[in-house]
Amino acid sequence: MLAVEDLSFAYRHGAEELFGGLTHEFSPGQVTAVTGASGRGKSTLLYVLGLMLTPSRGRVRLDGADVSAADDAVRSRVRAHRIGFVFQDSALDPSRTVLDSVVEPALYAGWRLDTARDRGRHLLQRLGVAARAEHRPGEVSGGQAQRVAVARALVTDPCVILADEPTGNLDRANAASVLDTLRAAAEQSTPGTVRTVIIATHDPFVIDHADQVLSL
Amino acid sequence: MLRESLATTWAAKVPAALVTGLVATMCAATIATVGRTAAAEAQVLERLDQAGSRVLIVQDTRGNDLITPTIIDQTAGLSTSERTIGTFIPIDVVNGAIGQGGTRVPAWGAYGDLTTVATLVSGRWPGPGEAIVSTTAMAELGLTDPVGWVAQASSSTVDDWSIVGAFTSREPFTQFDAGLLYPAPRDRSLNMVHVVLTDAAAAQATQSQVLRLIDPPAPEAVTVTSPTPLAHLQEAITGDLATFGRTLLLGVLAGGALLVAIVTLADVLVRRADLGRRRALGATRIVIVTLVTLRTMVPAVLGATAGLAAGLTITHRLGATPPWPFTAGTAILALLAAAAAAVPPALYAATRDPVRILRTP
Repeated sequence: MLAVEDLSFAYRHGAEELFGGLTHEFSPGQVTAVTGASGRGKSTLLYVLGLMLTPSRGRVRLDGADVSAADDAVRSRVRAHRIGFVFQDSALDPSRTVLDSVVEPALYAGWRLDTARDRGRHLLQRLGVAARAEHRPGEVSGGQAQRVAVARALVTDPCVILADEPTGNLDRANAASVLDTLRAAAEQSTPGTVRTVIIATHDPFVIDHADQVLSL
Repeated sequence: MLRESLATTWAAKVPAALVTGLVATMCAATIATVGRTAAAEAQVLERLDQAGSRVLIVQDTRGNDLITPTIIDQTAGLSTSERTIGTFIPIDVVNGAIGQGGTRVPAWGAYGDLTTVATLVSGRWPGPGEAIVSTTAMAELGLTDPVGWVAQASSSTVDDWSIVGAFTSREPFTQFDAGLLYPAPRDRSLNMVHVVLTDAAAAQATQSQVLRLIDPPAPEAVTVTSPTPLAHLQEAITGDLATFGRTLLLGVLAGGALLVAIVTLADVLVRRADLGRRRALGATRIVIVTLVTLRTMVPAVLGATAGLAAGLTITHRLGATPPWPFTAGTAILALLAAAAAAVPPALYAATRDPVRILRTP
């Protein structure tokens, strides 16, 4: 269970605080859309939830533990093992193959390369981009690249998926495909567990298809 | 991690090539300059350490019977003495068959092991009343073979020696090539003691020990010819060369390391999105530092190998190949310098805020 308590964040001392003491529990197995006007901190909330930013007030709890107060090494490990990221521009390494990009978080989580590559191939197969496994990111379409990014977010079987405007650069068909993939990810975790999927978006299509909407 | 480093090094060919070139230049320049200095230092030391540069001579100036055969024996027993011989002041001798009108050559009475100063080329070593003649002096005396006898060239003293062999001198006693050697009687004091030292650096200590054995009544009673100043010169030269070499080495390494640091920092700045993505995906700061450092070290190893090959080729052609410990040390130092140069940019990369890098405006 991912939750925030009394959460506020400011980029620098004395700057305007975002979230205003937000307290919220993100339901496992559901897709939550974080919406709000530009500048209200949608992406920032994801980075705080993803432990890349430290809240100026309040805390982030993951399964009851205050992970936001941990030191950098612990937060990195939590990111590697329990949190998957999907960036707006997919952020794949242009010099590596699609499969290499997918397995990258698994290597930071300490997986063996062959195990990670097996898992990566399986995910690419599931997301319909297995044929592109040995291609470079520049050789795949935007929709395919974003599905590869989703595969990368799922490779370590994390309990939280954070997606920052994942459909921002996609047409409606590709956006629907990526959204379906994220919804499936929320519902298909390891047996006995479900994932929390949080999407920062201003896309009405995503908001319409989300299970919950958190407005900032 | 190594695989990841190799892959990212391959992906970033320009900085990798620059680091390879810089480290290769560091190694080649070090070997071609400092290495030549080291080789020159070794050559100077070798020349200064030749036997002729390690001779200590003490002469009984006034003939006060200060240098006895016992002192020669004791001096020969010193640990810093490689070879020791005592001699009289040479006297002139002539071929006995020709008489006093013959050509005069010097003859030295020597006490000690004659094999330390001469190599017998024919005949046998002399006993009392016998002498050996140098191959050079044989011609002077009109001898075709080392047989016959020589007489002292004096109208008052009648002393003669049978010639029983021929010799050539051993370094550094080439003065004996001018004449004959005969065994000095044990009951007479000698005029000089010659000591070939094991090391020129031992000159001062050996000189003190020999003078303690001789115990001259006054300092001017003996004359000392010592390689001590040479030893000091040797120390000064090697010290100067070593200082010069160290300064040059540090200069090359520091300059090379600075350039490697600049290239690595530029690479880090160009690839900040890559490093930010890695941090976001769970790479710890240690992983980032290790990755950036290894990404520098992979081409650095290639550069060190190429630089060593180039440097050794250059010095080999110039005829001053440095000793292998120096060559190996240069490679290790160049790699350490490259590693040290990579760490600050790596730390910079590891401590950047990934959010600032990743956020799309």
